[in-house]
Amino acid sequence: MSRRTKRGAVAWRGLGVSDGIVIGRVLRVQNGARQVYRATLGEDEVERETRRLRAAVRLSRRQLLAIKARAEKELGADQAYIFDAHLLMLEDRKLLDEIENFIRQERANAEWAVKVVADSLLAVYSKIKDEYLRERGSDIEDVMQRLLVALSGGERSHAHLLSEDAVIVAENLLPSAMAELDFERARAIATDAGGWTSHTAIIARGLGIPAVVGLRELHRHARTGDLIIVDATQGQVILHPTAATVEKYKATAARASRARAAAAEQERAPLFTADDKEICLRANVELPAEYEGVKKFGARGIGLYRSEFLLSSRGTIPSEDEQCRAYQRLAELTRGDGATVRLFDLGGDKIGGGANDAEQNPALGLRAIRFSLKNEDVLRTQARAIHRAAAHGRLDVVLPMISDLRDVRRAKRIIEEERARLEKEGIKTGSVRIGAMIEVPSAVLLADRIAREVDFFSLGTNDLVQYTLAVDRGNDDVADWFRSLHPSVLQSIRRTLEAAEAAQIPAVVCGEMAGTPAYAVMLIGLGATELSMTSSSIPRVRRAVAEIRYSDAREIALRCLDSDTADDVEELVRNEFSARWPRLFTPETLPAYKHKK
Amino acid sequence: MVERTVVITNRLGLHARAAALLVRTASRFQSLLRIERLDGSAAADAKSILSVLMLAASRGTELRLTADGADESVALEAISRLIADGFGEREQ
Repeated sequence: MSRRTKRGAVAWRGLGVSDGIVIGRVLRVQNGARQVYRATLGEDEVERETRRLRAAVRLSRRQLLAIKARAEKELGADQAYIFDAHLLMLEDRKLLDEIENFIRQERANAEWAVKVVADSLLAVYSKIKDEYLRERGSDIEDVMQRLLVALSGGERSHAHLLSEDAVIVAENLLPSAMAELDFERARAIATDAGGWTSHTAIIARGLGIPAVVGLRELHRHARTGDLIIVDATQGQVILHPTAATVEKYKATAARASRARAAAAEQERAPLFTADDKEICLRANVELPAEYEGVKKFGARGIGLYRSEFLLSSRGTIPSEDEQCRAYQRLAELTRGDGATVRLFDLGGDKIGGGANDAEQNPALGLRAIRFSLKNEDVLRTQARAIHRAAAHGRLDVVLPMISDLRDVRRAKRIIEEERARLEKEGIKTGSVRIGAMIEVPSAVLLADRIAREVDFFSLGTNDLVQYTLAVDRGNDDVADWFRSLHPSVLQSIRRTLEAAEAAQIPAVVCGEMAGTPAYAVMLIGLGATELSMTSSSIPRVRRAVAEIRYSDAREIALRCLDSDTADDVEELVRNEFSARWPRLFTPETLPAYKHKK
Repeated sequence: MVERTVVITNRLGLHARAAALLVRTASRFQSLLRIERLDGSAAADAKSILSVLMLAASRGTELRLTADGADESVALEAISRLIADGFGEREQ
């Protein structure tokens, strides 16, 4: 996927999963295969070698304990259990005995023994049929890499290597490497693997640093210290850029940063289009690390709180009190603006405890509202916690993955029953509005009926695109078919927004589309007035909204609705947007068919 | 020696977190604790996370637990309760 340009500069195309441009120096993070050599030891060296192994194990354990503590604090306890499993592997007698025996019997150096034992374990793992369990192989790999680094006497942590302009370049960032990086100082991330919903992508967006994934062979070609440009806005990375290219990008980055500064000044004020239509920008939130951004970027409350991230803190469902505290914190954080709590959306491709369902077809399986209705006590506990927390601030609840009115009615009845029960118990509650997540084609078709029975709509565009086009959004092989601007998607959004308007209920659009200026303008043209996005996206969307006229956006959107293909829509958008709002959009910043040769 | 047959009930099976919990629990006891798939395809030492993970026990897998040692009854009870409770995941 590379293109060699003049004088050694190489440009790589990938998928930009956050926003922004950074010019920096490569910091190569290794977690792939390390070169390990075999040495044959003398009889008298064997004991020393096993002691060396044990020292490396102790060092690795200390590192892991520190990482675990840090992960709990910074990533919101979420992935801590992974590190607990890693710790147990290092305590595993079976593993350690096997490595020590190998050292003794083969008179091999510890590195070689670790590698041989790990490889044989991984070979067994690769045969496991269950996909989720098979993936645990990557945990073994992670632990073995750590041991190998410890054996070489090295610190595995790259934190101390981070210079001011460090750009992390890796094949794939394993969970522990992610947790070890000093996020405060990493300027950008570029990885060979990964998609829109990978660990890297989610964390990069939450922290507001540029990240490009899916770069295939960048890692192999990059060397620590190389000059690199990461342009996440365009999904491009340039290695060894020429001086002229650097100047060009510096100018672009400066423009973007001026725009951000200007946006920050007026971020708290109500937002209107140039022709006075009010647009409300809210925040999507999952990890506690993102709470700061909600305030910093001036979100009008939380439009989508993905409550399953709370659950995955230990993989178990938190108690009513624990949940209540978390929801109360949200309500207080947003003051009067309020927060919308989405019921546990377990299953599908979510990271955390509900990850990688063992079902054959998890996206179509027992997830979200279906899971809650099948596990009624889970739903009841969550409903009680939300009602109680709502006594301390404004909270709404949204039912995920509604495909049928029956699900709406059953869930509403249960939620209401719990409110009545709390009242009877004399426990204080607050009023909670109940909305439906519209993200499945059947809900779009019946949106007018659903609208009569709920207080508001939330449009989840990520899943809507996935389900409408039958494209797995995590699968790189079909990324070409994942087209957010497909006419069928636009028609579904339009239809849903019209149904909400007819029933006079609010509708908030809260997929990743809302956070991309060009898409946000399209959504406004289709009739959206509330958009919810990763909070770091708010300033740039705000700037775009303030500049456009709603009437223009609407006119273009109507023409797009009438297009035959996503290609037609994108061409229309490219031409019209750049002609009407040249200060906002240049053709290269507009959605293009990225995978085109 | 005591033994008992159990079925994995939690949705994700013996994944990393569940396996970690099982191994932590098993390690509290002195007895030798073994877990075997009832179909005979694999057996594990309950105190070794790698061998537990290698059981590849997904939901619905039937396992035979055996405990041998001074505290065998308590140990067997603790492990079977953990599995029956779906590792506290409350989603059966």
